[in-house]
Amino acid sequence: MEREAAELFEEFKELTASEFFRRNKQMLGFSGKIRSLTIVFHELITNSLDAAEEAGILPEIKIDLKRLEKDHYILKHQDNGPGIPEHYITRVFSTMFAGSKFRNIQSRGQQGLGCSGCVLLSQMTTGKPAKVVSGWYEGEKLKGVEMVFKMDVKTNQGLILSRKEVEVDSTGVKVELHFKDVSYSLSEQGAYEYIRRTMIANPHCKITFRDPTGHKYIFDRADKGIPPLPKEVLPHPKGVTADDLIFMAKHTDKRRFRSLLTSNLSRMSTKRVKEIEEITGIDLNKRPKDMKWEEAETIVETFAKMDFMAPPTSGLIPIGKEQIDKGMREILTPEFISSITRKPKTFRGGISFVVEAGISYGGDSGRMVGEQRKAEIMRFANRVPLTFDQGSCAITEALKSIDWKRYGVRDLDNAPITVFVNIVSTNVPYLSTGKQSVAPEPEILHEVRQATMKVARKMQKYIRAKRAAKEEALRSKVFESLVPVIIREAALLAEQDVPEYDAVLAKVTRRTKYEGVVEDE
Amino acid sequence: MNKKDITVNKLKSLGETILEDVGKNKVPTIKVPSRGTSNIVYDEKKRYYVLGDRYGKRSLGNVKQISKMAQMVYVANFCKDLIRRGKTATLREMYYVSEGWDVDFGDQQESNIVGEDLEVTLGMTREDLGLMPEEDGASVYGNIVIQDDDVEINALKSGKSGYTISPTIDEVEFVDHDVKRVIAVETMGMFHRMVQEEAYKKFDTLIVGLKGQAARATRRFLKRVNEELNLPVYICNDGDPWGFHIAMVIISGSAKLAHVNHQLATPNAKFLGVTASDIINYDLPTDPLKDIDVLRLKELSKDPRYRDDAWQMEIKKMLKIGKKAEQQSFSKYGLEYVVDTYLPEKLEQME
Repeated sequence: MEREAAELFEEFKELTASEFFRRNKQMLGFSGKIRSLTIVFHELITNSLDAAEEAGILPEIKIDLKRLEKDHYILKHQDNGPGIPEHYITRVFSTMFAGSKFRNIQSRGQQGLGCSGCVLLSQMTTGKPAKVVSGWYEGEKLKGVEMVFKMDVKTNQGLILSRKEVEVDSTGVKVELHFKDVSYSLSEQGAYEYIRRTMIANPHCKITFRDPTGHKYIFDRADKGIPPLPKEVLPHPKGVTADDLIFMAKHTDKRRFRSLLTSNLSRMSTKRVKEIEEITGIDLNKRPKDMKWEEAETIVETFAKMDFMAPPTSGLIPIGKEQIDKGMREILTPEFISSITRKPKTFRGGISFVVEAGISYGGDSGRMVGEQRKAEIMRFANRVPLTFDQGSCAITEALKSIDWKRYGVRDLDNAPITVFVNIVSTNVPYLSTGKQSVAPEPEILHEVRQATMKVARKMQKYIRAKRAAKEEALRSKVFESLVPVIIREAALLAEQDVPEYDAVLAKVTRRTKYEGVVEDE
Repeated sequence: MNKKDITVNKLKSLGETILEDVGKNKVPTIKVPSRGTSNIVYDEKKRYYVLGDRYGKRSLGNVKQISKMAQMVYVANFCKDLIRRGKTATLREMYYVSEGWDVDFGDQQESNIVGEDLEVTLGMTREDLGLMPEEDGASVYGNIVIQDDDVEINALKSGKSGYTISPTIDEVEFVDHDVKRVIAVETMGMFHRMVQEEAYKKFDTLIVGLKGQAARATRRFLKRVNEELNLPVYICNDGDPWGFHIAMVIISGSAKLAHVNHQLATPNAKFLGVTASDIINYDLPTDPLKDIDVLRLKELSKDPRYRDDAWQMEIKKMLKIGKKAEQQSFSKYGLEYVVDTYLPEKLEQME
């Protein structure tokens, strides 16, 4: 039976965000058993960290993963954040795009898909509802509620099955979800590695993790400072598109387009607005709603031709050299470490970013593959580990382009080193919705290269000094053992007594001994 | 002063040099003449290869050289002990003895090199130092009497295979002889032919069966009979580049042993045949030259040892006819022909 186009489009319109993602779960990153579980960890952990930090709380997360049967797990995730007021619980966990907001701010998560995505996956694979216990303050009063609910994909809303008030000791959220078709793995892409890397980039948090074998890992915090909250910054003229301008025009309370420009964009003064008017001939005194697409396009083209001050960088909060050092030391217990936080730069003309790099050598640096340690690349964007799509990522590309031989690393794949790179930006240019790789913008590639080369140079110095010291020690040993032998045998040969030879021995072993090398600044 | 005492004194002086430096609070160094190809030069006057005047150093203050130095003094003590006790040892035996030393050799090759270092440094052959080669020398048949320790040997009465030159040939004394010349042949086949045809009587000669490339002991023997007994030495080999070169190593020494050529080379020895001219003149059965033969001939033509006109002509001639012949190919004219006709004719030409 044929159906009319209108009928088909009726269905099309009715497709909710939840329904859409139910059909396209790979767009949330849920593809493959190992990857799906890692993404669940990723979404829950980033949410917990963001929430705690926003509330000024030192984050502490407890995760318990139990295996009920093959590929069937039950995950309990608990944080010490501010908690979620009852009214919002289903919104956070059952509505797609609930948190979506047009904000130009550096944060871990961004799309508001995370938690509801996890609930969706749980429901799709097991049919089981989600259980959430939330504790929060209402005024001075600590309240607690336990909710069991499902997600109604047709309406993009939660369907509460049960609700009761409970006693809680403190604020925070505890989520309990069932999953099938996922798999826990210790591999580089697995959930365990995800936690480990999170710890390196977030040394201020504490994560306790009980794995399916019952083993309990405690990753304690190496630092007690909560990172400062990033400030929201206005977009830079060179970073906006015509579409952005039209969007702003639709959602503004300004009455004139010119005041919309000065209040919604950074580095935009009245003088600049006048210049734009002169160049484009467009009357910017008009109402924002009257702005036409073509005019917006012309304005954006004009932005590109003008010189603006670089975007403000107050919105960028890097981890910082000291914190990176602490994080890497705590997790990798390396022999040597060096890290750097670069100055802010911009890409695409108007989006500012900061690159941080660290390199560690020895200890638990690198990955054990068989009997050998191989180099390990840890990629991060805004402190969040990027575990997948390594090949296409700007970080990988930049690191591969470095001539490692110049830094005493004969072969990047086979060195006991860990390279850490974090890209900080209000708009990290991800390559796909999975947000697992960064687009190879030329400025980003350049910065990653420069940062890594800087720290690699320091590592090379260390390796060289260490090698020299080792040779020196070996050298001294050779002399100390052979000089007496030669002189004894020479005396035997000459048929004379063995002479005093301390002076000669001192002469040949004169060099100072190795006493460890300290990284110089 | 006999040779043994000289050797012992030289060894002792090596130890003394080291102790002297130590006494002066100097870092001891041993100078070892370099054996690299660039330091091996052909001496036109002496008509054999000698070492140039470049030196390498073995310093107590160098981490790489110090173990070489240790090995050297150990080997020197080992040799001194051998000579004092009137014994000899092979390099292989020394290698095993070295297991008990405070410095080890990575492999036998390394101990061989240290042995050579000692040879060049002291200017003595390893036979002088009591380090004997494994291999025996050639067979000698003819009227010569020698004294080896307390045994007297007549090379005419030592069986049909004659007297075998021992590696300790330098210990042997020539007591008496009744010959006018020495003819060395490449193969034992030819040796036995000449014994059977009584060539030793016909030509008043010693017959020496080289068995291919002449061993060090053989070369010492030939040099000694040439210089001590004043006997002319003739060499008769296969008519190919390899036969040529076996003769040339006897005459002018090898590059590899440049440091001891003064004790091994016999510049007065002469190549009797088979020459390219012989192949033509005697119309010998031949084999075509292989690529490798041609290559080798071209190499020889550039070698300074083959510089004289006669050699250059023979090499050119052989390349031109593109053929080679074995010394036993004279049998084409009957087994006796080589002794009855060829050798007398050639000797007459050369003497």
